[in-house]
Amino acid sequence: MKSIELLGEVIEISNSNLETNSRMKAILNIISYRMEFEEVLVFKLDKDKRLTCSYANQTSQLYQLLNKHRCHIGEGVIGTVAQKRVPQYFIHKDIPPRFGCIFFNELDDVIYNYRSYAFIPVSDDSFLYGVLIVISRSMERINDNDKILLAIIAREIGGLLKTNDLLINLKKRISELVTLSELGKILTTNLDPQIILKNTVFTIARALNAVFASINIDWSIPKMECQRFVYGNLNGSLSEIVEDCETQAIQQKKTINYEYYNNKDLPVKKIYTLYSAPILTKNKAIGVLTVCFSKPGKNFNQNEDMLYITTTITNYIANGLENILLSAKLKEVIKELNETQKRVIEQEKFKSLGEMMANIAHEIKNPLVVIGGFTKRLAKKVNLSQTENKYANIIVSEVARLESILNDVLNYVKEPPLSLEECNINACIEDILYLFTSDGSWERVKITKDLDPSLPLILCDVQQMKQVFINMILNSFEAMNGKGEITIKTKNIIDDENYPQVMISISDTGGGIDPTIIENIFNPFFTTKEKGTGLGLAISNKIVKNIGGRIEIENIVGKGVTFKIYLPVKKNKNNGEV
Amino acid sequence: MKNKKILIVDDEENIRLLFKEELEDEGYTVDLASNGFEAIDKVKNNSYDLVVLDIKMPGIDGIQTLNEIKKINTNQPIILCSAYGEFRQDFSSWASDAYVVKSADTKELKQTIAKILTQNG
Repeated sequence: MKSIELLGEVIEISNSNLETNSRMKAILNIISYRMEFEEVLVFKLDKDKRLTCSYANQTSQLYQLLNKHRCHIGEGVIGTVAQKRVPQYFIHKDIPPRFGCIFFNELDDVIYNYRSYAFIPVSDDSFLYGVLIVISRSMERINDNDKILLAIIAREIGGLLKTNDLLINLKKRISELVTLSELGKILTTNLDPQIILKNTVFTIARALNAVFASINIDWSIPKMECQRFVYGNLNGSLSEIVEDCETQAIQQKKTINYEYYNNKDLPVKKIYTLYSAPILTKNKAIGVLTVCFSKPGKNFNQNEDMLYITTTITNYIANGLENILLSAKLKEVIKELNETQKRVIEQEKFKSLGEMMANIAHEIKNPLVVIGGFTKRLAKKVNLSQTENKYANIIVSEVARLESILNDVLNYVKEPPLSLEECNINACIEDILYLFTSDGSWERVKITKDLDPSLPLILCDVQQMKQVFINMILNSFEAMNGKGEITIKTKNIIDDENYPQVMISISDTGGGIDPTIIENIFNPFFTTKEKGTGLGLAISNKIVKNIGGRIEIENIVGKGVTFKIYLPVKKNKNNGEV
Repeated sequence: MKNKKILIVDDEENIRLLFKEELEDEGYTVDLASNGFEAIDKVKNNSYDLVVLDIKMPGIDGIQTLNEIKKINTNQPIILCSAYGEFRQDFSSWASDAYVVKSADTKELKQTIAKILTQNG
């Protein structure tokens, strides 16, 4: 009856919702009280396969001695019971048992006070969780009934420790998830990359309770001042060690761990553990995360967990950084596009203003030539007095002045100075297409691109080159009355004399050009459009010729026209070798 | 320079008149055409020592006219004369012998004409 009552109480406590520690203590106290054992202890098997005296009954005196040291599986009685999972019983007449590790020799002074011992493995069907030890001062021998009872209780304790392990794991996973979700939130904001990385480091350090955390980025983020983001103090000999760890982590492409004994900078010897994990995207290290912990005593046993969590975090950061990089790039591109768009709009404005000015200048010039010319003739033919002659000369010289002003205006408008630079033709085309495709009137035009990414840079005036492409593409657009397909291709070719060239072809489906007029289309002022100035293709041709290129036309009547622009890659008429 | 026959082609009547009088003063015989078609007709039926062509003209422009004239007579000396200065570099590709920017000061035109007529005997 006594044993059934006892078991009932143990099960009740075991199933209560007290803390694991309290439940363990209560069970051990009941065993001590009901079964009259002075000492009831549980050695727990830790993750690193060593046994620690973790729980004891209230009045235990040996606990203070036993929990100073840990023992290995197979070492002493405790180690042997853990290894074989078979209970062992002793009485004081037997050779006094060596409990576990050799450091338990302090026990020698007190062990004669006790008469019988039982070592019972705490396990379920598959796992060992520890060893239950009961010791009595008075009992000569532990009876069979008690042995069975202790075995049942040991099993119950096993269940309790198992649940506890699961619970601890669960808590750990939850806290990991919370950390990761916090990191996810930070990494997906569209804040400045610098702020994101600062927040990331801070969150990691706080979540992991680290002394310091650092992210060192190995590539340049546009407009980012620094490459290392640190929480905590990174100075002195520590910074060298961190750098060393980072280098190793990047080289080995895996998380590495390092123990560091600081006895130089501090009066008390302090132990740090460092974890450096490479931040990998596409198997390439783009940075490295380092976290440092101050070792909280000898039971510190986080190695595997920390390796796992730092690796997981860096995977997370890698994804985040890739997004940051992409979004930073995207922002740059959008900014550049906006600037280009503004510039092109300005240019278009300037161009149409220029064209207007050119037309006005031209219209004024003819009458001016007539006025000046005939005034001269007048002065020559008629016998003028000195004063009249002076007046005539004034008219002539003022006309000459006006003419030179007009020439300046025309030159300024039509021939901006060339500014040659290395230009990416594909990017140039993309810029222009972006402008066109963002215009509603281009809705019914399908634009097909086939741009060769291996295109070399071409030495030319980028703005002029854009003007050429704009003229050509607008020409195609107008030839198709705003409906059809424009195909733009770029290609590397070799010319007849074995020089590399870039060929840009622009094809439309506008039905082609009347063969009788095709030879005139590059003539200035030649136009088939009602409103055209007839200068677009003429100027384009001139720009291309200026840098040593040429334009060819492939005309298929009834189908469409292909303009092929050939640009030299290395040699340039005006500048020779690039 | 006597007896040299020059055809002036320009759509502006007063320009034609100015050039005619200036060149006649130099002793040339001057004929006029007010557009490309008229000029082509005249070149077909007459023989000129030189043609002075405006570029920007309604109907058929100066360059087209030049090409048509060259089809009739490949060796016909032609001067392009335009208010625009920016195509000055391109004249040789259009098979013209010279390019003169129109000006109230006809000195350049006269000098160019004299030079080309001397070259062609």
